[in-house]
Amino acid sequence: MLTYTLRRVLYAIPVLLVATFMLFWLVRVAYDPCTKLRSTREGAAAVARCEKNFGLDEPVPVQYANWLTDALQGDLGTSSRTGQPVSEMLPTAMWNTVQLMFFGTVLSIFLALFLGVYSAVRQYSVADYTFTALAFIGIAMPPFWFGLLAQQYLAVGPKDWFHLQEPIFYIVGLHTPGTTGFNMDYLRHLALPVLTLTVQSIASWSRFQRTSMLDVLSTDYIRTARAKGVPRRRVVWSHAARNALIPFVTVVALDTGALFGGLIITEKIFSIPGMGRLFYDSLVAGDVNVIVAWLIITASLIILFNLIADLLYGVLDPRVRLS
Amino acid sequence: MIRTRTVLVASVAVLAMVLAACGSSSGSKGSGGGATSSTTKAAPVPTSGNGTLVIGAEQEMDCADWIASCAGSSWGTWAMMEHTMPRVFEYEKVNGSWQNVPSILMASPPTITQVNGKQTVTYNINPNAVWSDKQPITSEDFKYTWQQIATGKDIYDKSGYDKIESVDSSNAKVAVVTFKTPYGSWPSLFGGGLYGILPSHLLEGKNRAKAMAGGYSFSGGPWIADWHHGVDVTLTPNPNWYGTKPKLSKVIFRFIPDTAAEFQAFKSGEALAIYPQPQLDAVEAIKKGVPDSQKDITTETPNTEALWMNNGRFPFNSLAVRQAFAWSIDRTAIVKKLFGDLGVTTPQNSFNPPIQSEYQDTSTFSPYTLNLDKVNSLMTGDGWKKNGSGIWAKNGKAASVTINSTTDNKRRELTEQIIQQQAKTAGFDVKIQNQSAAQLFGKSLPAGTYQLALYAQVATSLEPGLCSIYCSTNVPTKANGGSGQNWTRTVVPAMDPMLQTVDTSSDTQARITASKQADVIQGQNMVSLPVDPLPNISLWSNRIAGVKGDNPIFAMFWNLPEWSLNN
Repeated sequence: MLTYTLRRVLYAIPVLLVATFMLFWLVRVAYDPCTKLRSTREGAAAVARCEKNFGLDEPVPVQYANWLTDALQGDLGTSSRTGQPVSEMLPTAMWNTVQLMFFGTVLSIFLALFLGVYSAVRQYSVADYTFTALAFIGIAMPPFWFGLLAQQYLAVGPKDWFHLQEPIFYIVGLHTPGTTGFNMDYLRHLALPVLTLTVQSIASWSRFQRTSMLDVLSTDYIRTARAKGVPRRRVVWSHAARNALIPFVTVVALDTGALFGGLIITEKIFSIPGMGRLFYDSLVAGDVNVIVAWLIITASLIILFNLIADLLYGVLDPRVRLS
Repeated sequence: MIRTRTVLVASVAVLAMVLAACGSSSGSKGSGGGATSSTTKAAPVPTSGNGTLVIGAEQEMDCADWIASCAGSSWGTWAMMEHTMPRVFEYEKVNGSWQNVPSILMASPPTITQVNGKQTVTYNINPNAVWSDKQPITSEDFKYTWQQIATGKDIYDKSGYDKIESVDSSNAKVAVVTFKTPYGSWPSLFGGGLYGILPSHLLEGKNRAKAMAGGYSFSGGPWIADWHHGVDVTLTPNPNWYGTKPKLSKVIFRFIPDTAAEFQAFKSGEALAIYPQPQLDAVEAIKKGVPDSQKDITTETPNTEALWMNNGRFPFNSLAVRQAFAWSIDRTAIVKKLFGDLGVTTPQNSFNPPIQSEYQDTSTFSPYTLNLDKVNSLMTGDGWKKNGSGIWAKNGKAASVTINSTTDNKRRELTEQIIQQQAKTAGFDVKIQNQSAAQLFGKSLPAGTYQLALYAQVATSLEPGLCSIYCSTNVPTKANGGSGQNWTRTVVPAMDPMLQTVDTSSDTQARITASKQADVIQGQNMVSLPVDPLPNISLWSNRIAGVKGDNPIFAMFWNLPEWSLNN
């Protein structure tokens, strides 16, 4: 397993190099961080000064080589947008996104598992049809639309309808100004962004789990367990669900890694300063140092979660040995 | 059993949240009694302590080093700079027009004289003026500010400061600024809406950019700012402020970048004041009504949104075509469509923005409205004929025009669609091709590869100055290395001396006369077509007292120390 892990890490290095160069080049070609100075009275003079200051007057491969040299020494460069070191900007953004992702993923896993298993066990029941319909709606619904609906009907609406002094759920940020920590205020801020984030995940993961459970429930060993008189709950959870988890784990691991970079919409709607918002602001401003650092982190996480999925395979199914 | 327990736990959690929403939050006491609206009762601010106010800010500034290239964000000015950086002038309305009025920093109005044939401005500093650490604000601060801007490596805009020859700081409370060449817009220097005056005693000898970019704790204004990156800017009163003390104990500018979310936050009470961009969704939200609030919508802004015609490129290299195109556009209909619900219906009729109205002569642009007879007359007189598709053509070339604007701006997209329809009726084939701001402002406009562009010019002070965009010497050419911002390639030699007078003369009346003459010539030559005044929109809860409406440079927050909260 260690050899397998090391091999996967080594394979990732050239992938990261190619990806970072391509992104670096594309951003440099498409976005000019000094453009906004064109509209000043100085115009081209201000732009020229800015370009020289940020090394933009060099060819793109030279700029990338300079960046790579610094990055290998631990210096991710300075943001052309804010003037701050990139290494100072990332941790705060990451922490905000990790909070959303953690609660979102945990909630999604538990709900998707429960709904998938329940739907499979109670196949063709009213509840199954209901959950199926809701799942399709959830998969089809754009996150930004759901987020705006949630703001209107779960925050603003109830406050007006019931003449509450405050909204039940807050829609800006993760804390009320002046408060910190894990408390009711934090949960009230977290509820709607996590809900927005998890709608599609719960919908699609529950479908995977349902399908997987149906496959497992029709196998011989499950029939044998039932015939032997094993209690129904144990058949479902200890035998069937555990085997049905294998494809579920794959989907969760892959989606969670990708989720990290895809929180742009949720973070923008709920004004959460996470990695998604950082990426968007940096892209619009042509801040290539931040964008490339963002890519490294996102790509590394995707690779990591893929690795975790593969490793979990071996844990969940002793027949699988990684070689 | 497990299912029952799960449902029970979930129910308790929801009930707790509802009870929390029903109960009052800690410390939500406002100051004074207050008027309530005639609609629903005002709800306490969830975030208010004893006079704490939350304002929604649509954008977070990139940095707080106001003179660097990372600055230039309007919200940086509105949320932080104007409340902490001392400046020479305030902008106030005097006799119906916006004027530079000496600020509390000045003991008396600055005086302008000629010394040895050179323009000299003398600033007498208020003897009580101090920084938040009680150190006096001195002429050395003026000198330091000038030096940082004029000789700095990474500066946003040096205009004006690069014309200063010296700053005499021999008298600590008198700064004497001598110019190399006459500079008519000298009031825009030392805090005229773009920068403020820097504290030399704190920054001299240090890396100014590093000290300020991420936020700073000093202040020469009524507030001290604390920037929580990504979250908010929190203002608390400067204990050593030498002017009127703020009434509120805290003001929080909370960053809410999504316009829809911003309005929701305003309705839910998470923000008690917002200053949204006049985008379509903001107009729609205002039209639907926001209960328990007041609004101020003004067209007296520094903004001019216009159709910028490339005078050096077919078909707009013909005056007749430019005029005909202008006669094919119903600007009033456009303005009504965009802002009619806000009560804004009159198009812009000068390239000097509304806050510089005394420099405007609107007589030549104001007649331009939809008039197909004039279109026909001008085009046929210029040798054009309509082809089988009903589009004007000359020498085998159709009057086909591509209009460029910035992507992701719904208001501009709607404007383009209206123009496209109107122009087609008049015989012009308009194609819409929007670009990123970087592409448009970085490449297309400077290189002159566009035909027609739609964007807004925004002034940062009350000082006029159209020479940079209309003087013929500022056309970007190979000879001048592509510098200059005359992107419309306007070459009207008769206009140049007038625009230069506006830039260099310190005689206000002479500047006004010259500017008006230049306006007339611009209209006669249809250099481009001003379209709409982008209105400024201020929205605030009835719980706030003391709001006095918009300021064209400093937004609705210009008198923040006078604001207070009602119960």
